[in-house]
Amino acid sequence: MLREVARLVWGPSLVVAADLIVKGYNEVGDGFAAGVVVVLATALTYVALGASGAERALPFLRHAPKLAVGGLLLALVAGFFPLLLGEPPFSHRPGPGAHVATVGSLELFTPVLFDVGVFLLVVGVLTVMLHHLADPDSEAGTPLDEPHDAGERA
Amino acid sequence: MDEHRLLGEPADQSRAEDQGRSEDQGRSALPVDRPGWAACAIVAVGFALCLWAYRRGGGSVSWPWAPTLDLRLSFSLDGLGALYALLATGIGVLVFAYGTQYLSLHLAHENRPARERWRFWPWMALFAGAMVGVATAQDLVLLFVFFDLTAVCSYFLIGFDRSETLTRRAALMALLVTVVSAVALLIAAVLLYVRYGTFEIPQLIDRAQSGTTTTVAGALLAVAALAKSAQIPLHFWLPKAMAAPTPVSAYLHSAAMVAAGVLVLGRVHPLLARSDAVLTGLQVVGLASIVVGGLLALGQDVLKQVLAYSTISQYGYVVVLYGIGGTTAAGAAAFYVLAHGVAKSALFMTAGAVTMATGEDRLSRLGGLAPRRPLLAISAGLAAANLAGLPLTVGFFKDELFFEAMHGAGPWMTGLAVVAAGLTLGYIGRFWILLFLGRCRTEPRPTPALLTAPVVVLGVISVVLGLVPGPFSRLAEDAGTVTAAAPVTVLPGYHATASAPNLMALGAWTLGALVLLLPGALGRVSTLVARAGDRLGPLRLYTRTLRGLFGISGALHDREVRNLRTSVAAVLVPAGVLTGWAFVVTPTVGALSVGTVRGIDWLVLPLLGLVTVATVVAAVSRARLGMVLALSVVGFALSGIYALVGAPDIALVSVLVETTITLVFLAALAGLPRDAPPTGRFLPGPEAAPHRQGRQVLAGGIAGLAAFTGVWGFLSAPTRAESIATEFIRLTPGAHGRDVVTVIITDFRGLDTLAEITVLLIAGVGVATLLRKGKLW
Repeated sequence: MLREVARLVWGPSLVVAADLIVKGYNEVGDGFAAGVVVVLATALTYVALGASGAERALPFLRHAPKLAVGGLLLALVAGFFPLLLGEPPFSHRPGPGAHVATVGSLELFTPVLFDVGVFLLVVGVLTVMLHHLADPDSEAGTPLDEPHDAGERA
Repeated sequence: MDEHRLLGEPADQSRAEDQGRSEDQGRSALPVDRPGWAACAIVAVGFALCLWAYRRGGGSVSWPWAPTLDLRLSFSLDGLGALYALLATGIGVLVFAYGTQYLSLHLAHENRPARERWRFWPWMALFAGAMVGVATAQDLVLLFVFFDLTAVCSYFLIGFDRSETLTRRAALMALLVTVVSAVALLIAAVLLYVRYGTFEIPQLIDRAQSGTTTTVAGALLAVAALAKSAQIPLHFWLPKAMAAPTPVSAYLHSAAMVAAGVLVLGRVHPLLARSDAVLTGLQVVGLASIVVGGLLALGQDVLKQVLAYSTISQYGYVVVLYGIGGTTAAGAAAFYVLAHGVAKSALFMTAGAVTMATGEDRLSRLGGLAPRRPLLAISAGLAAANLAGLPLTVGFFKDELFFEAMHGAGPWMTGLAVVAAGLTLGYIGRFWILLFLGRCRTEPRPTPALLTAPVVVLGVISVVLGLVPGPFSRLAEDAGTVTAAAPVTVLPGYHATASAPNLMALGAWTLGALVLLLPGALGRVSTLVARAGDRLGPLRLYTRTLRGLFGISGALHDREVRNLRTSVAAVLVPAGVLTGWAFVVTPTVGALSVGTVRGIDWLVLPLLGLVTVATVVAAVSRARLGMVLALSVVGFALSGIYALVGAPDIALVSVLVETTITLVFLAALAGLPRDAPPTGRFLPGPEAAPHRQGRQVLAGGIAGLAAFTGVWGFLSAPTRAESIATEFIRLTPGAHGRDVVTVIITDFRGLDTLAEITVLLIAGVGVATLLRKGKLW
């Protein structure tokens, strides 16, 4: 039961996270909360399937370090690009009061990029920590219904 | 050192084969040192740029750095800056070229991988850049930054052979002595800023008056500079720093890092000149360094040690000249730095080449190398003659100018100058004679030509400028003009007259010849001085201080983190005691009030009750699972309270974090053995020591009571001052948002968020380092 829920819940968690970021500027939630939601779903998978099982089910988790560094770079760019335009860091474009294009409730302006950077970094770092703390290399409790050799991929 | 070991080959091979191999290693087998040549190219470009800018009359730039603190990134390539920048980059090109070969051989001998170069060249290049920064910076704080940057680079360069304890200690010593003294520079900068309202050196020189502030600031500046230039009594780090690879010594310890100290003296000299006490102090320190450095250099056996004590002595000359002050001395000091830099780096590279060829680094095991290495012997001889101030080398003029300035300072100084120059001729003559003449004790092996070529270049420079000193004297004039704040003329030349400098030179040579002919007597004096220094010297004080500090730190650390409980108590108990003290000393009448319960509070109260119950359960529970679940109940109940009192963002994050923590806790518990909690040093069981348990309850009680009264006090008297929250709420719609918290996080306080997520990334790397030796996945 837990395993089935864990398998099913990861995709929806991304949707919830996207929702938190999109509506972040107008409603409760931000990139950090969105990141933790995704990591919670990942953690549930780890608990349900064991470390190597989880990393087999979600093979793209191994890109987590890149995600973390990419998130930091994105946040840095979003924060410091105004320096190139001669403005103080963290000035946003379009500026205060100017017109902002919107897609639904998503406003297309630079702080959203910064928030996405925070999201990526939180997901990346916490996934790396999960990976290390779950210790797949000395994993004893690999579920029996999974083939053992496939673990090498992760 | 055993030559076979130096080559990294077994000792039972025959000498012929040995030599053949080493030739192979020297000529063809060594990989090209690309990072080294890249660094060399960078420095060469730097030299060309500095020369070009200097020829076009210098120039200055100034950008705002931290305008609210009146800090500016202001650089100026004036005469003084040009002199030191050209010296650092010019010598740098030669030393770096030498280093490309030296480092490859060094790494090959120690069986270390060639990629370790990447731990060397970036620091060398950064160091060269920092030196140019020190030379051109016009803002005291900026100067301090570059000053410390050179010290940090020197730490990594001296400690390059990091597997050896002595090397690491030497690196730490150089760092501590120069960096701790550099704090004096920062204090002086702040003192001057408070009094005169600027960090800019030229403005300070205009505004500063004689007085206590200027004297104290001048003395502090001098302390920082003297420690950097390895002057007595802060000289002891330099001989130890000889543990560095030779290119580092040839660069940092001849023409660059130690030169930064006298550079600062030259830069702020008009400030120092406002106080006679500071100038007298400089003279005393300089003379002591000349004499002690010279005497100790006479008795050293290790090649680089001779040169290290010689450096202490030679920078003593410059410090004395700055102590005398005036236009003649300022010009002479600038000229001296140039000539000395050329000579000393050549001699260091000679020492390195000899050690590479023979595997020996002691005068007592070397000798008779002149017939076997004629080119090196002649070039090193020229450099030594330059240092000793013999005619036909540029060093003659440095001594001529020195004598002239000393003669102007009175009869005592005249006599001391002759003694100093005699000592110099004595120790450097001894160095060259023991190395190149006499019986050959160790046969040299072939070495790459690049280990000799830079020495030859510097030897040729010594002679050419000894015939045509124009370029150096013009540089020295421009530099002296900055130092003396008045036009300086430097006119070196050969005058066959019985002038005072010529007579003093003759006296010095006679004295030097006597020292060389009668090595015994002065050798004994040198040994005595060395022994006295070992017993009473500042090195002993340094060692004792360091050991004492380690002792205190260790004792504190041991008390604090003996186990998890004491380290928690070490934070909570002092915090509690301080809060209690604050309540005792401030009037508390009416400060603590009980409000009324209404509206939403009726929902909050039961939640608080739940928190209380869960806390008690967590405290008394013996089962791990129960403890964890009780703690998570506390967390979730608090999240509910946040939601009720109107902080939905915090409630959301709190729920998420609580869920994560509970999951992680449970996962960690699954990894623990299932039987009773282990008892031991780090986890004393409750039954292990009853009196300890009592202490823990007391610590918890103090902390809890303090937190309770503190929070109660805050809630009883909400501040009436305008909160920044009002402003944030007002500005939020302008930032296209309606959720104030998100806008604060991503926009208003974005820089904080950036710092926080960076910390998170570092924590992630930390976890990876602890658990997987840094493998991120």
